[in-house]
Order: sequence, then C-alpha cells, then structure tokens
Amino acid sequence: MNRPEKIKDEALRTRVAHAYGQLRAGDPSGAVRTLADAFVDLLVRHPALLELTTTVRGRPIPLVTRWPAFGANLVLDPEGGQPPRVELVRERFALSEALTYYEFLVDLAVDQGL
Amino acid sequence: MKFGLFYELQLPKPPGAPTWDPDAERRIYHEMLEQVELADRLGFDYVFEVEHHFLEEYSHSSAPELVLAALSQRTRHIRLGHGIVLTPPAYNHPARVAERIAALDILSNGRVEFGSGESSSDMELGGFGVDRSRKKAMWEDATREICTMMAQEPYQGFQGEFFSMPVRNVVPKPLQKPHPPLWVAASRRETTMVAARLGMASLGFGFETPEELGERAEEYWRLVREECFPIGHAINPGLAVLSTFMAAETDEEAVRRSAHGPGFFSYSLGYYYNPVTGPNHRPGQTNLYDRFSELPSSERDGRGPLVAARLMSREQIAAEEPTDEVQRALFRAARSGQAIGTTETIRRNIKAYEDHHLDVLVLVAQCGDRKHEHIMESIERFGTEVLPEFKERHEAEHRPWREKQLSGVEHPVNSSI
Repeated sequence: MNRPEKIKDEALRTRVAHAYGQLRAGDPSGAVRTLADAFVDLLVRHPALLELTTTVRGRPIPLVTRWPAFGANLVLDPEGGQPPRVELVRERFALSEALTYYEFLVDLAVDQGL
Repeated sequence: MKFGLFYELQLPKPPGAPTWDPDAERRIYHEMLEQVELADRLGFDYVFEVEHHFLEEYSHSSAPELVLAALSQRTRHIRLGHGIVLTPPAYNHPARVAERIAALDILSNGRVEFGSGESSSDMELGGFGVDRSRKKAMWEDATREICTMMAQEPYQGFQGEFFSMPVRNVVPKPLQKPHPPLWVAASRRETTMVAARLGMASLGFGFETPEELGERAEEYWRLVREECFPIGHAINPGLAVLSTFMAAETDEEAVRRSAHGPGFFSYSLGYYYNPVTGPNHRPGQTNLYDRFSELPSSERDGRGPLVAARLMSREQIAAEEPTDEVQRALFRAARSGQAIGTTETIRRNIKAYEDHHLDVLVLVAQCGDRKHEHIMESIERFGTEVLPEFKERHEAEHRPWREKQLSGVEHPVNSSI
C-alpha cells in the first residue's frame, strides 16, 4: 500500500505532506506547484529514475513520462545536457488533476524505495 | 462478487473490404440486445456500455443512452450502466446528460449506473475540440454539476471555465436519490485512487490481474474511509475490473471460439490511443482488421502484450509459456484471471478476484469477430453453472465485508453493489 508515510526521503515526504494539506484546504493549484517542485527535485537528486521504464501496451516507455500532462508538464532534454524541469502552462488546476499528480508522485517514491 | 457484461460494439471490417456489409451494424446492435436479455434472465447484475465516437471497428457505440433505453424495456433486473458517458461539455452538455440519465432511470424503474469519463483518443478529442490537457478538469466540473442538477431543485446554476448556465430546474429527476450510483473510467492506478477520494466506484479498464486488484483494493477502501471528498451527493464505493470471457464445453473449444477477439480488442485500443497511430488514422479508409491480421500470430493470440508482460519478464514468458497455441492461451488466461475455458476453468481463474474482494467482474464477450451464437452459449453456461455460487457468496460473505469497510463513513451511500 503506497502511503506517503512510507516515503523514506525526508525532504520529499515533507513536501508531499504539504501538498496534501493544500489539497485538504481547497488549494489544488498550490498543491500541483508543490508536487511539481518536489518531482523535479527528486529527479535531480536521483537521476537513475530517468532510466526506469514501464510497459504500456506491450512497449517499454520511460517511467517518468507517465507524469500526467495536465498543464504541469515534464520537459526532458533528449541530449541530457539540461536538467529535467516541469513547465506550468497555466495557473489553475482542478482537484482531480492535483490528486492524480499526488498519487503519481507517492507511487513513484514508494515503489522505488525512496 | 457480482457480474456484468461490457460492450464496445466492436465491428471489424471484412478482410480486404473498404467498408462493412450494409447489415452489419444493425446485426451487432440487435445481437447485443438479445445477449443482454439472456443475461438478465440468468441473473447477471450489470451491463456496461461505452460511449465512443469515430473509433471505427474498435467501437460503434456512440449513443449508449439509446441502447440502454431499449434495454430498459426488454429487461427486468439487470442494472444499466453507462460505462461511461463522456462528460466534458464539448461532447455532451451537462444539463443534457442529467436529463438523459434521469429519463433512463425513470424508464428502467431505477436501474441506472452513472459512469463518467473523458476519453483520451485523438480521434474523439479532436473531433469535438476537447483540449487534451484540460479534459480531466472539464470532466470534474461537469460531473460534479450533473450530480447537483439531478439532486437540486431548482439547480442553482454555474459559472465555470468550461460551461456556464443560469438557475434552472433540470427535469425530470431520477428515481434513485440523490442520483444514480457514480462510477468513473479508470485505466491507471492513480485514477482508481482519485475515484476513491471522490467517492466513486472505479470501472477498471486496464484488465487488472487479481494481484494488481488486491494491491489496489486495500488502499482504495482506506481512502474511501479516511480521505474522501465526494464529487456527488452520495458515494458509491466499489471496484470493478474487466476480463475477457468465453465459456465452452472444453477449454480447447473456448480458446478456438475466443479466437482473436481479445487480441483485436487490445490491438485496436492500442492503435487509437497511441500518440503516433491514433492521430494518423484515415477515417473511412483504414481497414484495421486487415492490419491486425498481418501481425505475427504470436502478437494476435490474446492479451499477451498487454498483460503477460506485466506479470512476467520476457525471459520468464519465454521460459514458462507452453509452445502449443491453445495451451499458451489457457496458461495466460489462468495467470491473468481471464474467464476463458470450461466453466470449471473459469471458476478457478476468477476465484482469485473474489479472494481479493473484487466487487464486480465485468466480462467482455463481444469483441473482434466472435460469433453471436458462441457468445449466447457462453452467457448461458456461465449464468447457469458459475454465477449462482458467486452470487450466494456475495450476499453471505462479501456484503458483510463491505459493510465493515464502510463502518464509520459518514457520507451518504447509494450503491447497488
């Protein structure tokens, strides 16, 4: 069961808890910004995450590209020269969007033992 | 565990032909009505029908509200599920959805299940001008307001980013109060967890295996109990999973009749939802079944690419799978909880779902070029030889288990599970 308490990385766990507080307080847009920052920080500190793949319809794709593209979009440099970043293409996010980002990040961290 | 049937209304083009036989669409619609009538008589609990647009061959079910309305007059007990209605306003105005759901609920004497979703195929999003990056926000706004339209008298009106409307009394109101049970299409684990947090049943379109389901169920129910902010006015906690389905007198015959149905289902789904092939589909020109038929047989024989790869590494598959085609199909069915084989084999394969507390197993019988008479026989066999014992255990064991899961939940519940 992938619960946020199982995240070992203290910095990430703190940010995820903060995002959850924002969700409960009715601020999904703030939660998305917190989660996006936390995701990028995680990728920078654990670049091996960029190498992981998952199988979608029988084909392997980079796991991190499953980060939802609801307007807080992951930008990867194919040459690897630039660090990964999340581009916010708008300000407002819905609760279901924020919850999806939240679930993705918690799953990623717990599944990878971080 | 309860059981449902699932319909995309698939219609592969004949080999080498540019289009279908003129009677083909009439035929599959009427066959479906017959199949569901039989399922109703045998005690199946649900039928779920999709809403898809422009996905020729993969799904010819673009007006499920009409098919379900027809079924409401030909069946007595089976629950009529939208699996799902596309609720972003560009597909369907929210007030029209609320009106249609309520009218269907009245016509069926309160048997509607309101599933919602947004689709992610370019054919559909592009056809209706739905912005992919905003579709989930559109779904959320519209679905929340549809629930309020059904529950509130008069509806208070709404000023939103994706639609607005003034105060109106949206009539008729559904028989089920405050509104029919809510479901959401979930093809990813995250969406199942979002469903829990929004108080909706998860209609799992990912053909999750029993093991995957088990992992999700525990967290799903915890979220329903502890972290639910309902999107509607009553919650419908529950988990449903799709499984391919073909019952016959022998395992070998079931595999033969199953033919390439699940393979085509998987292939055509992948084709339309793939970011490269989907947008480049040539409407009215491509013969998808021809393309599917050209694949090596190892890629056509079921859900191998979709499921087996998740269960085992490719090396394991190569080492463990039987080389005989029929035995390989049965091996995969057993590994992934598919309902293919004799009723005894099916009973054994699907028991694992029950053990993991699945609420509803939704069986996909109509897919690819499967034959109507085989589907009818399959429904008959399952309905008489498998369904009764699961139904009995649902009442005796699963219902009390659900009640325990829900203890302490303060939100109102409207669920047929």
